[in-house]
Amino acid sequence: MNEILAIVLGAVLSWLNFVLIDIWMGLPEAPGVRGAKAIGKSIEKRDGDLGGGYFSGNIVCSPDASAGTLLASCCYFAFHSPAGGLIAALFVYFGNRICADPGYAGTTGALTITILIWATSYIGLSPQNFIVGIVIAILTIQGLYHPLVSKLIGKMARKMNRKVIEPE
Amino acid sequence: MMSYIFYIIAIVSAAMVGFLLRLPLLPERPMRQSWTISIVFPTIIIAVSLYAMFDYFKIYNGIYTAIIIGVFAAVFCRYLLEKLVPIPDRGDSQ
Repeated sequence: MNEILAIVLGAVLSWLNFVLIDIWMGLPEAPGVRGAKAIGKSIEKRDGDLGGGYFSGNIVCSPDASAGTLLASCCYFAFHSPAGGLIAALFVYFGNRICADPGYAGTTGALTITILIWATSYIGLSPQNFIVGIVIAILTIQGLYHPLVSKLIGKMARKMNRKVIEPE
Repeated sequence: MMSYIFYIIAIVSAAMVGFLLRLPLLPERPMRQSWTISIVFPTIIIAVSLYAMFDYFKIYNGIYTAIIIGVFAAVFCRYLLEKLVPIPDRGDSQ
């Protein structure tokens, strides 16, 4: 497969994998730690959405599906085997627990991307396409324009019934 | 080549010992906010990941390794996990 096309496909699949799993696991609902709350409120102050802001804050403060996707892709590449993705899931789980997070999003993200990489290897995608892809995917969420992205995430979260629960 | 059958044996072994140690099958709802250690999460995940590690690095593999890793994962989750990575205080995390 053409390499540029493979990277674009890897980026789209990685973006969908981590955003959908993180929203499903309730990242836009509440900040997990104080840092995530500060990021969420700051994005809201700059005309962003609070749920989308909490989502960005939670991603920064603990290894959620974004980190799970990145680490599983890297381990799959390093080990040349789906076993790498499974081993990454274990380390992501312990990383989550250390960061005051129960670990569902990160572990699920690592396992689903392992399955995705294995399945798409039959159409010519390789783990390195997913490594580049997830870096691009995280850049679109964290590195371009927070207010716009937070509104998109907030809208998706409301559609998936994951509304903001204000912490007391 | 991955020996899938041994992964399944590790899962079954972890689940059976988990039942014997009275771990719940699933965390209570809403699961995404639950800190309860259950058979499906993280006992089976730990069993599969540990077996992948042993199998990949060719430390030990095969049926006995799969069974022992399943037993270890269940005992570890039941007695050691919360001591090693404790649930954070509400005051610390928020």
